[in-house]
Amino acid sequence: MLVFTRRRDEAIMIGDGVEVRVLRVGKDGVRLGIVAPPEVRVHRREIYDQIRDANQSAVVQPDHLARVAERFTKAK
Amino acid sequence: MRPAPAATDTEITVSDAVTFPDGIPGFESCRRFVVLAAEEATPLRRLHAVDGVGASFLAIDPRGVLEGYRCDLTASDRRRLGASNDEPLLWLALVTLEASGALTVNLRAPIVINPRTMTGQQVLPHDCLYPVRHVLLDAE
Repeated sequence: MLVFTRRRDEAIMIGDGVEVRVLRVGKDGVRLGIVAPPEVRVHRREIYDQIRDANQSAVVQPDHLARVAERFTKAK
Repeated sequence: MRPAPAATDTEITVSDAVTFPDGIPGFESCRRFVVLAAEEATPLRRLHAVDGVGASFLAIDPRGVLEGYRCDLTASDRRRLGASNDEPLLWLALVTLEASGALTVNLRAPIVINPRTMTGQQVLPHDCLYPVRHVLLDAE
């Protein structure tokens, strides 16, 4: 892992188009500003992980379709 | 930032493969999906990857699940979809059959497809407060 020390208002560049700037340094957190081209999607890591986990648990297994159809039939 | 189009767009159908340039989180190798008609006896559609690991998902229009559901697309989201501001888009939320037997819907990160450009993505809005597991049918 590449490690930098940055102070407030200092930034790093990633590739040609992504800039990560330190906006504020507090006791419990650091506020970052990110500039990236539209094709680069930027997410909080924990949100991305949560959605990835949700997607993985949503994969249809062989017995699911019959069970799901049964749930809807009963719910009517 | 604009609201999702009205729920009258639910009839949009996609017959050929839709390209997801980034796949979806956890399934980055799945770049092409087909959207199939509703499964028998359910209001659910099927989103099936035709490449990568070939995963298959059940999905439902989130605007039919929760009245007033709205999710704002950013200008970057629209650009990735090749969508103008009033372009009709297909909205799908992934459905999970939980171990408890409950059916839940991911309203937090909907899948949005532009049928005109045949491009799709799963959007992860920064300011969305909808749950990842909204209960559609309770546990058995």
